[in-house]
Amino acid sequence: MMYNPDRRKIQDKDFELVEAINSGRFELFQELVKRYEQKLYNFGLRMCGDVCDAEDLVQDTFLNVFRYLKDFRYETKFKNWLYRIATSTCIKKRRKSKFAPERELSLDEFWPKEDAHIPDAVPEWAQIPLNKLLNVELSNTIRNAILELPEKYRLVIVLRDLEGFSTAETAQILNLKPSNIKVRLHRARLYLRDKLKGYFAHDE
Amino acid sequence: MTSDQHDHSHCLSMFQKLSEYIDNELDEMTCRDIERHVEECVPCKICLETLKRTVNLCKKLESKPVPESVSLKLKEFIQSMSDGRSIVQK
Repeated sequence: MMYNPDRRKIQDKDFELVEAINSGRFELFQELVKRYEQKLYNFGLRMCGDVCDAEDLVQDTFLNVFRYLKDFRYETKFKNWLYRIATSTCIKKRRKSKFAPERELSLDEFWPKEDAHIPDAVPEWAQIPLNKLLNVELSNTIRNAILELPEKYRLVIVLRDLEGFSTAETAQILNLKPSNIKVRLHRARLYLRDKLKGYFAHDE
Repeated sequence: MTSDQHDHSHCLSMFQKLSEYIDNELDEMTCRDIERHVEECVPCKICLETLKRTVNLCKKLESKPVPESVSLKLKEFIQSMSDGRSIVQK
């Protein structure tokens, strides 16, 4: 079926370029790569934590995009479609190399225990200006904590809080219900918050 | 309210919704309910503020540049694919 630009349901800055590539101007594919290689490379780093795996993820994703771009239906933003491919490439890749163990995070594990010490004021790390707080060491602590998360939670927090997709977009990319995204995101954030609490507790 | 007087059932129901509150995904009535609660409940206020800070830290994490060698390799890889496709088309 031929694509008719007048019947587009949504606007997207990438459609014109995709359309040109699909009309045979394959040399323009490099422009698509230029637009997204850094984003995908960082997505790979955040998901795999290893530069070689991130490099493979970028290459494999673009290979799949190149193969399947002609099937793109312009019914979603190109970026969301790209991340759908990147995500499935990443999941396939990680199944081959076992890394963080898969397990469920329950809300109970983040709920303060009866005998837990509850501070009587908001800690300093949650109050001082962000730019004074976020240094290289803290950035690495957060990145490592994300890598410790089981994959299904890591994917959601990376897409939502680091890549900036909405709940609806993340649900579409991962083919899950928005309610599932919200549950996973909340638990992933609580996990990271506990890691940060531990990190800042060393300074007290 | 001190931590000893902490009403766990109410707090737990707030605790479950904190991310949706941070993301502006709750209706106005639930938002006001949470805001009233954290005004009076210090443990929940701490919980909300530390979670909010965690989310903002994640959002502020900087991207790393793609190493030049990786970029070049990718460019060559794409070039070889594009050339192959062009030949097939002709």
